[in-house]
Amino acid sequence: MPFSIDCRDKCTREINRLLREAIAEGHEHIELQYPDARHNLAVALLRPVRVVVNGSVGYYCGGMMDGGHIEVHGSAGWGAAEAMLNGTLLIDGNAGSGVAASIRGGVVVVRGDAAARAGVAMKGGTLLIGGNCGYMAGFMMQKGRMVICGDAGDALADSMYEGVVFVGGRIASLGNDAVIEEPTAEDRAWLHELLVTYRVPGPTAFRKVVSGRKLWNFDRREWEIWRAAL
Amino acid sequence: MCGIVGFLDKHGQTVPPLGQTLLTMLQALSCRGPDSAGVALFGEGGTLQLRLSVPPDIERQTLNEALQEEHLTLVRSYGAGVHDVRIAAEVDLTELERRIQQRLPGSEVLCLGEHISLFKQVGSPDDLEAAYRISTLHGTHGIGHTRMSTESRVDLSHSQPFWAHGVADLATVHNGHITNYHKLRRRFEQEGYRFYTDNDSEVIGVYLRDRLAAGRSLEGALRSSLEDFDGSFCYLAATKDQLGFVKDRFGFKPLMLAETEDFVALATEEIALRRALGHDFPVYEPLPGAMRLWSIHAETASLAAG
Repeated sequence: MPFSIDCRDKCTREINRLLREAIAEGHEHIELQYPDARHNLAVALLRPVRVVVNGSVGYYCGGMMDGGHIEVHGSAGWGAAEAMLNGTLLIDGNAGSGVAASIRGGVVVVRGDAAARAGVAMKGGTLLIGGNCGYMAGFMMQKGRMVICGDAGDALADSMYEGVVFVGGRIASLGNDAVIEEPTAEDRAWLHELLVTYRVPGPTAFRKVVSGRKLWNFDRREWEIWRAAL
Repeated sequence: MCGIVGFLDKHGQTVPPLGQTLLTMLQALSCRGPDSAGVALFGEGGTLQLRLSVPPDIERQTLNEALQEEHLTLVRSYGAGVHDVRIAAEVDLTELERRIQQRLPGSEVLCLGEHISLFKQVGSPDDLEAAYRISTLHGTHGIGHTRMSTESRVDLSHSQPFWAHGVADLATVHNGHITNYHKLRRRFEQEGYRFYTDNDSEVIGVYLRDRLAAGRSLEGALRSSLEDFDGSFCYLAATKDQLGFVKDRFGFKPLMLAETEDFVALATEEIALRRALGHDFPVYEPLPGAMRLWSIHAETASLAAG
């Protein structure tokens, strides 16, 4: 039997305290009922526990997590899993702006759509979006992998340093210094395994977006590129 | 920060009262703005009225004389110098407002129209409820605001919603910052528009009034504001029979939307929608650059047809 916490009539601090106490007592499966889009739920989980949230969550759900596993049976507000180090966050619905921003590791899955600025400044880990995403996804990404099964908005992967973005649908426009290259056989195998593992229906083919590396070093002869980027 | 909310019942139902729904949503967002709170409700009209805020140093007799000379009838008095006044004759609204302020220095017309009822004050949504019992107010649709002041004074005048002076039954609430406010204000003032506060959000009402006066529809005005306003903004506009939202092209400010067969609800955060309306409907965030307008008659007609 999972340990259950009814969020009604409780403030966020109280819910997170009960969650930490349950983890300290050794519970490995905890369910949150009626979260009603409260912010900062289940932040900074540092143990490999399973937290199931039955409803939508507000901002920063699962932020700063290191090794936990969270399932959200609903949608998530802004900044879900922000600055996560390791673990998994699975969102059944849609995600607000800035999902998986600055994550260093782990896996974030959004089965629906993601709003603007998905995966900005990712420093590792994987972000899988089953639907579409808004503009500026992957802005200044430094490491890690983002997979968008649907369409990507404007300025995709703008000014990315490193890392890779796979897109199954249309790309409204590429950001500065983002270039398209052919996925390798290894990429295809990894994508297939990822979609199967998380049971996300994806397209048969993906395009691969990487850094053109023109913004790595300043060169006066490439002034036009810099003018556009800045 | 600031929090904004909007609600439109497609059946025109009033159970629970519209005021209760708006209040619950604002209470859920009160941590986004502790400085002031307000609501504007729209319902069945009948008589042209204005709501007047009069400073405490003005005697009751002075008020009565001023109203009499302007052919205005006092309908109801609330606490804190707020009064409802009926307008008898066909008058130029801007001119009437100017004359009232001349006779009663420091007074302010909070709203004017046949359908609008606007309450706002310094303090939290709970304080607003304590002062005006807004949870008991009925209506078909309405908007609300809880403010965290960043640029201008914290007082009644600078609180929201803003009634768009000069246009009956038009009000706005805004979350964000219109960064080309000074430029727009200078232009509008040169064209003869008057500004009543130093709050950048006030320019939205002036802009909409200007566009409507130029023959644009409200929908056209909302759409063109996406190009004409700079900065971060989500704002709602409501008239006697319409409710709309505009979200800036960068998506700097959050706004969540829920639309079901029964209602349209908008709030800065989903937490407000869940607390006021429950769990059984999907909520999504409109994309940057989105705008939509609902007409209460169209919604009722489509329900009747469907």
